Formats: sequence, C-alpha cells, structure tokens
Amino acid sequence: MGLVAGGVADVVGGFGAWRMWWMLAKNDVIRRYRRSRVGQLWLTLSMAVMIFGMGGIYASLFGTSMADYLPHLGTGLVLWGLMSQTINESCSSFTDNDSIIRQVALPRFTYLLRTIARNLFIFAHNLIILPVLFLVTGTVIDWHILLFVPGLLLVLANLAWIGYLLAILSARFRDIPQIVASIVQVAFFVSPVVFKPSQLRGDHPVLILNPFASMLDVMREPLVGHLPSATSYLILLGLLVVGWLVALAFSGKYSHRVVYWL
Amino acid sequence: MAHIVLDKASVALAVYNSRGRALKSEILRRTVGGGLQNDRDSSVQVIRALNAVSFEARDGDRIGLVGGNGAGKTTLLRVLSRVYPPTSGTATIEGRISSLIDLSMGMDTDASGYDNIEMRSIMLGLNHKQAQAIVPDVEEFSQLGEFLSLPIRTYSSGMMLRLAFAVSTAVHPDILILDEVIGVGDAAFAERAEKRLHGMIQKASIMFLASHDNASIQRFCNRTLWMKGGTLMMDGAPEEVLAAYAADGRV
Repeated sequence: MGLVAGGVADVVGGFGAWRMWWMLAKNDVIRRYRRSRVGQLWLTLSMAVMIFGMGGIYASLFGTSMADYLPHLGTGLVLWGLMSQTINESCSSFTDNDSIIRQVALPRFTYLLRTIARNLFIFAHNLIILPVLFLVTGTVIDWHILLFVPGLLLVLANLAWIGYLLAILSARFRDIPQIVASIVQVAFFVSPVVFKPSQLRGDHPVLILNPFASMLDVMREPLVGHLPSATSYLILLGLLVVGWLVALAFSGKYSHRVVYWL
Repeated sequence: MAHIVLDKASVALAVYNSRGRALKSEILRRTVGGGLQNDRDSSVQVIRALNAVSFEARDGDRIGLVGGNGAGKTTLLRVLSRVYPPTSGTATIEGRISSLIDLSMGMDTDASGYDNIEMRSIMLGLNHKQAQAIVPDVEEFSQLGEFLSLPIRTYSSGMMLRLAFAVSTAVHPDILILDEVIGVGDAAFAERAEKRLHGMIQKASIMFLASHDNASIQRFCNRTLWMKGGTLMMDGAPEEVLAAYAADGRV
C-alpha cells in the first residue's frame, strides 16, 4: 500500500506541474509550424489522403458502399493514430527529457503528461477531417456524440497507465520501444480499424480480449451515431482499476530510480 | 528559512553497457542463468559515487566544494538539488532550489530568445506573469538587443551562454547550486556575470559552489567541503580545507 501511495504522490504532483507540461507540449506542436506555414496540418492532410485512398479499395474488397465504409475507416484511423502514437511516444517520455530530469526535481508523471497533451493537440488537428468526411458521405450525427467525451477520457485514462509503465520500463531497458512498436503494429491488424466488428461474431476473441477493440468502440460509435456496447465500458473500467493499481505500485517502487537509468 | 541535513547519504550508480540495457539479455540471464553468457562480461557495474556523506547546512552558509575530477562533486550537487534521491541514508532539503549545473537545459534552438526566456522561467518554477516580469532584466543584462527576437540557433555559443545565464540568474532561490559557472563568456561579460552572481549569492540563504578555482572559493565561500572518491574528507573554513586539499595533491 505504501508503494501505491508513492505512485499516487507522483501522479498528483505531475498534474500540479501543469504549467511545465502544458508549455512543453504546446511548444512541441508550435515547433512543427515554425518551419512551414501548414505545420502539423501536413500530417493531417496525409491522413486524409490515406483515408480516401484506403477507403476506395477496402469498400470494394468488402463489397460495401463508400458512404457506408468511409466514416468507419476515417474515424478508425484518426482514433488509432491517437492511441498508437500515445503508446509509442510514452516509451520515450523519460529518455527524451533526460536533460530536464537530471536538473529539475519534478514528478516523473509530468513528462508523461507532456506526451499525452502533445498527442491530444495533434489529435485535435486530425479531428478536422471527420466533419468533412461526414458531410461528404452524408453521415448523420445525433445525440450519441455526447458519449464521445466520456469515451475519450476513459481511453486516455487507460493509455496513461500503460504509458506510465512503459516509460519507466523503457528507461531501464532500451529495447522496449522497438518491442512496443512491433506489438502496436500487430494490434492495428487485429483491431477493428479497417474491418468492421460486425464482420466478426459478436463474441469473437479479437473483440473481447483485445482492449484496443473496446477503446475504438467507446470513441467511434458515438461519432457515427450508435451506442457503444456495455461490454466495452466494463472491460475498460476493469482495466482502468487493475492497470492503475499495478502502475502506481510499480512507479512507487521504481520511479525514483529512473534518474539513475538515464 | 532553508535547511539541509544529509545523514549518511550514499549514491550507488549502476552503469549498464548496451547488453545490460536490453530486456532480451535480462530475460536470457534470468532464465538460462550463466550458462549462455560469459560471467566475466558483467553488463552492470556499480559505482559508489557518494559514500555516506553527512553534514548540515543552515541559513548563511556559503559552501565551496573542492575535489579532483570524479570525486563526486556533481553527484553531491544533484543530491542537494533533489534530483538524485540517495540510494541509502537520507537527505532532507527544505527551501526553493535553483541549480545552475547545466545552463542550456531545455533550450529550444528553433524558438526565439524571448520564447526561450519564458520556457526556461517556467522550468525554473515561475508562472506566466512572473516570467514576463523578468524579461526586462534579462534584456538588460544579456545585452543581446534585437537578437532576442531571432531563433537562438542563429546565436554563437557565447550568446547562448549569456542568455541562459541571464535567465537562470534572474530568479532568486533559497538554495543556490552552482557548478563551475563563474567566468563565463568574454572578459567584459565575465566581470558583469561575477557581479550578478555576487548579488544572487547574497540574496540566497544557502549557496553551494563547486569549483577548481581556489580564488573564487575563497572569495565567495565561508565554508568548504573536500570530496575525494565519493567520501567527504574534510568540512571546515576555506583556508584550512584548501590547504589540506593542496597538501593531499602534492603527496
């Protein structure tokens, strides 16, 4: 229990240092605009091209219409971008900030919040694609969209403990980021980003055992006017509790050692 | 106001080579044991960078730190700035700290001088308003003029140092930690820098200065610690400690 308390202190302190991570994350995005007027929007643009390009091919592969398939793929790729980038970049949350960590005594969680905030800013850029996509395909947005925000928060809270664990581990073992990148790559193909969950049986292990499927469900369905399944919420809430307990205990035990590993 | 107590504080640093940093070899080591790996090839080396150091510092202490390269001076400064938690023993540090160990920490070379002033101030614990308030002071002291609106990648290393020094010394902490920063820049700047440091040292409650320059230790400090091989050899008045340190060097 003492370990968990140490972890809680680190996380609470990290939120307390909001000026620091907010400034750093903002600067990360501003930096992309400095050398080009379009900045981060270049990447948004390339995602839009990918959505329309892949959409055309997979819609005919799956034998559905573009109007039916594009909103599914578009939301899927945009949301997957947020999830995969946050997880991949969490690995270097501590190793990228080593010069600051070695000079200023700030809670470790501060640096993870920098990674998450930066990816949220980038996600906000990519979100611009969706209204355009919905307009083109004539997708109707209804009251379900109100569920998007709680869904996003639930996913972020889960990504935070995953990133917290990975950041600590990656400081000690420098081959973790590569391992994580491969796992995330595989996860892309077994998660319903490109294909639709309805193309599988409802109780297919890919949908139940793969937490990414649940994360996509609670964020995507509200956007396209459906209700996410209750199972997805239960899985994510369960993971949230168990994951945070593990991450907090782990951080309580090891986060003070991180500085010696950098 | 500020108070520091170190009680048998030790820091054992584990130094890993590339093999010790890989999860792959860690798993191999734990599962296959020594069978596959050469036992002599130790991937982890433990260095005792600080060995049971105990002392107390109170308001008004101006402490100089002397010792050869690798004596543990910088490690001690990092413990004092709360960056390194001691691996055994305790370190109790009360007061707001500012450490000038790495002057160029957190500088973004693509951002303008003004942006960097704000970023660095926030890293030193100021809020937005306080950061704005120190801008005139930094402008005046750094004498960088219009260069402050340019990205700092266009600066020479001397100009970069001026900016970093000006911002870092614009805040007034309770505990000030300096690592060989006296005598930066060209001769004219070095003189002004020393004057500014003097003012800053006077306002701080406790100051630590690690230096190889005995003259600056004697000028700024009223107490001196001598470190050797991670151990605190002597703690006393600058003249006595410097004499003992010099005598040790001659043997």
